[in-house]
Amino acid sequence: MRDLMKNLDVLGVIFILGLTCYAMRAGGYVLAASMRDDGIAARFLRLAPGNLFIAFIVSGCLSGGLAGLVGTLVALVTMAVTAREWAALGAGFGAALATSTIGL
Amino acid sequence: MTAAGFRRGLVAALPFLLSNGAAGLVMGLTYKGLGLGAPQAILFSLLVYSATAQAITLSMWASPLPVAAMVVACIATNSRYLLMGAHLRQLFGGLAPRKILLSLFLLADASWLMTSSDADRNGPDAGYLLGSSIPMAIGWVGGTALAYAAPLATNGPLRLAAALLPTMFIATLLPSQWKNATSPWPWLTSAVVAFLVSRFVDPSWSMLIGGGCGTLVSMMERTDA
Repeated sequence: MRDLMKNLDVLGVIFILGLTCYAMRAGGYVLAASMRDDGIAARFLRLAPGNLFIAFIVSGCLSGGLAGLVGTLVALVTMAVTAREWAALGAGFGAALATSTIGL
Repeated sequence: MTAAGFRRGLVAALPFLLSNGAAGLVMGLTYKGLGLGAPQAILFSLLVYSATAQAITLSMWASPLPVAAMVVACIATNSRYLLMGAHLRQLFGGLAPRKILLSLFLLADASWLMTSSDADRNGPDAGYLLGSSIPMAIGWVGGTALAYAAPLATNGPLRLAAALLPTMFIATLLPSQWKNATSPWPWLTSAVVAFLVSRFVDPSWSMLIGGGCGTLVSMMERTDA
């Protein structure tokens, strides 16, 4: 009986957290309906992606250490040269793996 | 929302089967260590579907479960989805919310970033968002399930390299984004602020704060950057 209650508690928490996360995902889409296309908030949201890309990459490189930095730079340069995502990801993955393996 | 966009997103996101699979595997092993059963762990990854929210709530796991604190932690770590959802409304303004509810359920950092970049190249297409979200979700949930099916170690260079794939993937989007930029200052601001702030907050917040500051610099320029 105690195990059953514990399982129900865990399931309840999972559903509550799932609902919370979905509310965050859908909330922005629904709330933005009241936003004017030429307003400051709309302009902010139009300009945000490129800047968030950069901040995302910086955060990723920091958490990945030197292997993250090397892999990301190799992927970026390969993409700039070849314009092929698969080549860039393959090269970046290989560079990160090599850097991590030799313990840098 | 087109079938062509769906296929384009699905194919472009296939590498995430590997990277999300590796990350999901690590999450599954952590759940296993906590004593959660496979159905609960899989349901967790499926319904919550957020590495940051799941990691944070795992660190708060106790008996009795601190539900209110966990909800607040989820809101704090996932507030960036409000911005992402609002930006998607800018892209898909003509699309009724009910037609995009499933895609929003699977919304992730990478699928949003990819959809934004694809919209610049090919025009807004909600099919791309759904298509790119599916391999990511399959990888994440499948990886969690795999942790219960196989006795696997969580350490090693291979896991680290696989975990870095999302960052590398976003890096491949930069050349196309650079074409829209009018000066390097917004990006430099984003990078420097994200770097400085990361000393004090977790990566999801440093991404949001750094990107927000860079966007403010963009807004002060005469034309969109």
